[in-house]
Amino acid sequence: MLGQQILSGLATGSLYALTAIAVVVVFRNTRTINLAQGDFAMIGAFLGIVFLKDWGLNYYVTILLVVACCIVLGFGVERIIMRPIANSDWLTLFTTTIGIYYILHGVAGLFWGRDTKAFPLTFDPTPVDILGAVISQGHLYNMGWALAIGAVLYAFFNFTKQGVAMRALTDDPEAAYMMGIPVRFIVLLTWGLAGFIAGFVGILIAPIIYVSPEMMDEVLVKGYVAAVFGGLYSIQGAVIGALLIGVAENLAGGYIGSHVKTATAFVMIVVLLAFRPQGLIGIQKRREI
Amino acid sequence: MAQITQTNGLFQQDDSARDRLNAVNACKRRFLRQDVTATLIVFAALVLVPQLPFVKGWMLSQASLAIIFIIAALGISILVGYTGLVSVGHGGFLAIGAYTSALLTKYYAVDLVVGIIAATLVSAFFGALLALVFLRLSGAFMAIGTLGFAFFVGTVVNNVPIFEGRDGILLDDNVVLGMEIGDFGFYYVSIVTLAVMTLFVYCIVNSGTGRAFMALRDSENAAMSSGVNRLLYRTLAFSISAGITGSAGALNAHIVNYVSAEVFADIWFSVDILMAVVVGGPALLFGPYLGGIFVVMLPFFLEELADFAFIMKGVVLILVLRFAQQGVGEVMFRPIQNYRRRKLMEAGGAKVD
Repeated sequence: MLGQQILSGLATGSLYALTAIAVVVVFRNTRTINLAQGDFAMIGAFLGIVFLKDWGLNYYVTILLVVACCIVLGFGVERIIMRPIANSDWLTLFTTTIGIYYILHGVAGLFWGRDTKAFPLTFDPTPVDILGAVISQGHLYNMGWALAIGAVLYAFFNFTKQGVAMRALTDDPEAAYMMGIPVRFIVLLTWGLAGFIAGFVGILIAPIIYVSPEMMDEVLVKGYVAAVFGGLYSIQGAVIGALLIGVAENLAGGYIGSHVKTATAFVMIVVLLAFRPQGLIGIQKRREI
Repeated sequence: MAQITQTNGLFQQDDSARDRLNAVNACKRRFLRQDVTATLIVFAALVLVPQLPFVKGWMLSQASLAIIFIIAALGISILVGYTGLVSVGHGGFLAIGAYTSALLTKYYAVDLVVGIIAATLVSAFFGALLALVFLRLSGAFMAIGTLGFAFFVGTVVNNVPIFEGRDGILLDDNVVLGMEIGDFGFYYVSIVTLAVMTLFVYCIVNSGTGRAFMALRDSENAAMSSGVNRLLYRTLAFSISAGITGSAGALNAHIVNYVSAEVFADIWFSVDILMAVVVGGPALLFGPYLGGIFVVMLPFFLEELADFAFIMKGVVLILVLRFAQQGVGEVMFRPIQNYRRRKLMEAGGAKVD
């Protein structure tokens, strides 16, 4: 029972983790709390249905196409909406992403309707047995993908020029600019990266929950809580936070009752922020005077 | 206040500096006056709404809803506009207000007025509590913290038996001072609440307390080193803001005599309130009026096209933030203000720049 709960908690947590990574990357490079992150994934899931069901494409081709579309969406959002207001204050950037949220919501409702749709199952629904814990193949599969994407991101941030430039931008935007890093391009790339992650999240989560314009709201909010849990500046922190939240809410759901499941994450974040306002492994940023 | 300016390569005392300062202050006063005038005009229009011949029952309840949103937006404007704190959790205070008043009127059969006052006080208490818990937060952390609070309240009302979860609490007809009131009566109760809250916000903002809030907003460190008690004023701002929003929640419970967790369980109520104040103009008295009416009326006009309403909302929000970051209200006053400023500057003998 315990192992079971922890394992399926890790599976959900790994999807929160991907969302949280995207949130952290966008936040630390652009100061933007991107509330539309979940909706990128939602659009991705709907596109996945279109490609798989209506066009009858292969699953892997679908993933490729969906991720490409989400990257383009990320680029577009940056170029058209975020770039003109890039130097505004924090609240302006935040509320602008609420605007994007509304627009994507409306667009999805307009094209694909408000009611929930089933996503064609892409894996064998029979559960597998691992060391006494039973887990559905979909969850297992998602964990595998999340690990792979995590590895790709790790490689990107450590071994490519763009990834290192992105980290430089995080550390000190002005110094990065002085060193000749093309800041605008890197910011564009950041949003593209958010789209890349969202595309995968959308396609991976779609078979588990039904597809609808509101499908990502809860995952997004949990992703946020995870990002803040880890301190909003640290990718590792976000991943740890996401896995902790996934496991904790599954345990609470299993041992206390399913009605407290959703609240667990928020109780955790409220308690954490009351005692550690900078997050779990966050850094206290120097105050500006 | 004398000021040295450079004219024709020579340093000389500028006598016009004081005049210029006076002119600027006069401009500020004028601006406040325009703000108040605009607010009064809209308020008068709202008072007259039920007298219009074509207004029927459900339109009246829509108008009541608009007033509720205006009150909630007034509450959040204390935080966002004047104190520089962000809350994405005011739906939580709305829920606290709604359930306080609903439970009191149902089980203790109290007057609606008592219900509203109790809702305000209880909500203000929770606001102060939340401020103390989130003592050291700011910016994005504050946003997520308050968001967590809203979700937490949503879960509590959904699961604790006394709140009756998604089944909701059905209330009796509204009673004010021993008389049963219909839709019209309720509308005027909302109007009176709005008037009281607007007056309260006006008085707070133009008092020493309001100046302390604004000092904290403009520079926390400067404010603190000038002796502004950060803890006290933050808690106060949160408490006032939550109280005002709580009264809106009480009205929201009585508008259809029904409260259910369905409404308060998700965060988009909170986001809509935040959006109203950002669109209208956070640091204006007039802003919440504009934003509240906008947020309620947009789905009202696009009823069959809910998705278009969503898209419109998003587009308007993005355009406002792109071209009018101080809100639509501020843009509306700008032409009058420019004219006034030019006139005052000329009258004061200062150069127009």
